[in-house]
Amino acid sequence: METGKVNVTVTVNGVRRSAMVEPRMLLVHFLRDGLGLVGTHIGCDTSQCGACTVLLDGEAVKSCTVLAVQADGSDVTTVEGLGDMENLHPVQEGFWEKHGLQCGFCTPGVMMTAVGLLKQNLNPTEEEIREGLEGVLCRCTGYQNIVRAVQYAAARMSESEGHREVAAAGDDSGEGGR
Amino acid sequence: MPNVFGTPLKRREDPRLITGKGNFTDDIQLPGMLYMAVLRSPHAHARIKRIDVSAARQVPGVVAVYTGKDLEGKMGTIPTAWLVPDSDIKTPPHHALAVDQVRYVGDGIALVVAEDRYTVRDALELIDVEYEELPPVVNQEEAMKDGAPQLHEGVPNNIAFHWKAGEVPDEVFDRAEVVIRRRFYQQRLIPNPMETRAAVAQYNPSSGEMTIWCTSQNPHIHRFILSGVLGIPETKLQVVAPDVGGGFGCKIAVYPDEALVGYVARDLRRPVKWTEDRREHFTTTTHGRDMILDVELAGKRDGTLTALRIKNTANLGAYLSTAAPGVPTILFGLIAPGPYKIPKAAVEVIGVLTNTTPTDAYRGAGRPEATYQIERMIDLFADEIGMDPLEIRRKNLIREDEFPFDNALGLQYDSGNYHRALNKALEMINYDQFRKEQEEARKKGRYLGIGFSTYVEICGLGPSKVAGAVGFQGGLWESATVRVHPSGKISVFTGASPHGQGEETTFAQIVSQKLGVPVEDIEIVHGDTNRISMGWGTYGSRTTPVGGSAIAIACDRVLEKAKKIAAHALEVSESDLDFEDGAFQVQGVPGKKITFQEVTLQAYLAWNLPEGVEPSLEAQSFYDPANFVYPFGTHICILEVDGETGEVKLKKYVAVDDPGPVINPMVAEGQVHGGIVQGIGQALWEGAVYDENGQLISGTFMDYAMPKARFFPAFETAFTETPSPVNPLGVKGIGETGTIASTPAVVNAVVDALKPFGVKDLDMPLTPEKVWKAMQKGRREA
Amino acid sequence: MRIEVRHPFSTSRKVVWKFLQDEEVLRRSLPGCRKLEEVSEGVYSAELGLNVGPVKGMFTGEVKLSELREPESYRLTMSGKGKPGEIRGDARIRLEEAEEGTVLICNAEAHVTGVLASVGQRVMGSVAKLILSQFFKAVEKEIRHSTPK
Repeated sequence: METGKVNVTVTVNGVRRSAMVEPRMLLVHFLRDGLGLVGTHIGCDTSQCGACTVLLDGEAVKSCTVLAVQADGSDVTTVEGLGDMENLHPVQEGFWEKHGLQCGFCTPGVMMTAVGLLKQNLNPTEEEIREGLEGVLCRCTGYQNIVRAVQYAAARMSESEGHREVAAAGDDSGEGGR
Repeated sequence: MPNVFGTPLKRREDPRLITGKGNFTDDIQLPGMLYMAVLRSPHAHARIKRIDVSAARQVPGVVAVYTGKDLEGKMGTIPTAWLVPDSDIKTPPHHALAVDQVRYVGDGIALVVAEDRYTVRDALELIDVEYEELPPVVNQEEAMKDGAPQLHEGVPNNIAFHWKAGEVPDEVFDRAEVVIRRRFYQQRLIPNPMETRAAVAQYNPSSGEMTIWCTSQNPHIHRFILSGVLGIPETKLQVVAPDVGGGFGCKIAVYPDEALVGYVARDLRRPVKWTEDRREHFTTTTHGRDMILDVELAGKRDGTLTALRIKNTANLGAYLSTAAPGVPTILFGLIAPGPYKIPKAAVEVIGVLTNTTPTDAYRGAGRPEATYQIERMIDLFADEIGMDPLEIRRKNLIREDEFPFDNALGLQYDSGNYHRALNKALEMINYDQFRKEQEEARKKGRYLGIGFSTYVEICGLGPSKVAGAVGFQGGLWESATVRVHPSGKISVFTGASPHGQGEETTFAQIVSQKLGVPVEDIEIVHGDTNRISMGWGTYGSRTTPVGGSAIAIACDRVLEKAKKIAAHALEVSESDLDFEDGAFQVQGVPGKKITFQEVTLQAYLAWNLPEGVEPSLEAQSFYDPANFVYPFGTHICILEVDGETGEVKLKKYVAVDDPGPVINPMVAEGQVHGGIVQGIGQALWEGAVYDENGQLISGTFMDYAMPKARFFPAFETAFTETPSPVNPLGVKGIGETGTIASTPAVVNAVVDALKPFGVKDLDMPLTPEKVWKAMQKGRREA
Repeated sequence: MRIEVRHPFSTSRKVVWKFLQDEEVLRRSLPGCRKLEEVSEGVYSAELGLNVGPVKGMFTGEVKLSELREPESYRLTMSGKGKPGEIRGDARIRLEEAEEGTVLICNAEAHVTGVLASVGQRVMGSVAKLILSQFFKAVEKEIRHSTPK
């Protein structure tokens, strides 16, 4: 029970953070108690609910299944790093526009899951979205508006992706690429 | 000023919640804060012979350890707040930590306080308890039998109360053309809001003031009760419900844990936090339902219903939780005839204590059980007389011109147009076409089913006079303070305590509509007993009909005063003024007006107020409704049962709900969605299971099947809007309709699908195994 | 929870019986056994390390052998307590003559509390079977090693 502490360095939302932690400390506790990033929530203790989902090196993971020491040297993005009111991520925008949240407790984890999902598939069908939400539980919304929120985000993101591609294509033809 | 009532405004609570800037109880960090954890009984029933806490005390970082004996006499017991009258109710003491005896798996025995959350768990494991196991009893009918293990002294046969309403003599059933008798088991459910319970307490030893932040649906009720339990006057006790991550009824109750956190914070003079883990939630937070319903429905061969009689044997768990006695009695019994003209009805309820987690309100609380039995019974009745389930409903539903309608158990349904909601729902499907498809599919070995639920429910709890008459130890009015600041911006303080339902938005819409002030200029303040006058919180779909109405009335009072000031300023009489677009306008004199904002400033400057008018612009209402309100609607479910596996696949779900005028359709629709999913959860998957020793064996999300996104099709929802005459907004309530309506709609549909197998009824949840077995039985018998 | 396990031994009932009653054999054969001491006639105090899926822990408790009817049957009752909860077991063990020697039939009833009940119960049945089979296999090995053919 008395264990030697070890140093962990993680880049969280673009900022390098170091701390001495117990080897058994979960990443979610490190984020919440250690770094004060309480936007990531804890909804269960068996890794079923997904409320604690964050991006670890760009991939959605449940931060209650990761030890802080395992995240050493990694990049972590939490909801606090997803976007703020001046610059909302399309997923955040979708959740607001489409009433994808009620109590808001599962929301950070569900949004990070959605970000992970859209990274793999920018144009998911409704069925694929519902499948993609397999790892999260929401007790309030009945999921329908979460699905709509993800669809909204997907449309926004592929729109801007489209713009980027058009812009890139324009660059290519005009200036022979840089 | 555009009409904001009825507009799908984006929610104003969302910006903080989508950016990770919410403030939930477990997010609170205070300097010097300690962590508390509670050791809980692994036995359902046992005497505590010895507790050895010495090893736990030795753990570095542990600050204190307490046992039930340490606290005995130093804090009050946890009371129940619903003493159902004329029921011989017994209220055995519920100690915050068990003293000699534990009565369910999860009963608190000892607590540890330590510097961090890991240490506190380490120490907890080192407490050594020696138990003398006692025989447990889990089932309510077993518990009532002579010779069953007795939980409490002075509660013979574990019967906590015996309540009756109405009477139907036997001869009514003896002489009836058709009588259907059926037993339904309303399985035990676990509320599981995604945020578990938590509490933080901070005590100031110099001033004697204490603040408790906790996951509460009703912080004023928490203050009311905790003040008594802890012996802290309400003047010194502040209870705050910060952002609360869902409640569904389980955060109404005042639990031992919140009291313990307060006790320890005062004793140790340091802030203390306790956060329930999910496994703890499964065993210690109140469960819902667990009622055995024996129902008799009498009627004629032509489909006319004549009498309903029900015996409800309700499992209350080991102790009487805060509102527990009211759920199977008042909230279930009185609405049992549902939306149908049934001239005679009687309900008998026996509340039984068992060695299980206490039960209490869970979304719908009594009304889902009532709706389930009547919606199932009417289908069984129709089947018996060979009538279409739709026809029997049409025949018996209360007609529009029959409102207000007095049901057989003394409730007066305020308003309704049940046939309109039913017809609207039917427009969204094609019933005749479906029946044809069903017929065709059956020939090919595919089993389609359709289920109806034409429900009515009680909302807007409720008139305080009635609350008193039915034994609720509180009022059920609601408070609102509308404070217009000198700038014209408005703070609204409500005694309701929303926790996901969106009233920071919808209440602002009410105020905006009333006062012509943009929504952006209105802030809704809730959840803090130091800022808000006494109120009763959010449950029973009361927030909008009662809390919202209080706000509307306070707005009217603001307007009344403002009008006086405006008339004075414009040197006209009040009767010459119209209030429109946020300004007082002199009738017939275009341009002669004064804006609400200007009036507000004048009210505060008070340089030139009319005779007898005091400065400032603020009004309050303590609104006590004259009656409950009765939302209603029709839900229709179409599904397919897999003939090979018994799996139920939902194909189409239509919901038409009538909550009165809809303030924000987007928010209202969201409430319906969530409700439907929770109700279908009960129908198909959820169920808390105890083994015969009182061990909860569905105690994690691995074992307790929570509804997930992929289980559902997109729901099709619509509203009809029949105003209630009860309150000034005409609103009814939409928070529980989905849960109340959907469960029987789905079960009716499954039973309809299984008709070729001779299936009349199945106990929930309708798991593939259960459905498959029913089909196999049908195949064997065919 | 009821469990039934059968295990064949390629030797006589008498021999199997002797080994099953031998404290040294038990100590070596019981999976995860850290301690086994006879505290009175047929009653042992024991420490076992358990590993049930997500639940791991040390269990201390008592094992009692009674109703001995050599070489046919006996009763084994045990109660154990550990961090994840408590276990109570009551097993009837029968030795039957078979073609190849002996068949042991163990019918046990087990009760668990705590995490074991809420988390472990789903897998407890199969895990208990596994542990018992491991035990009987270990006993079989002991017999093979000590009885050269």
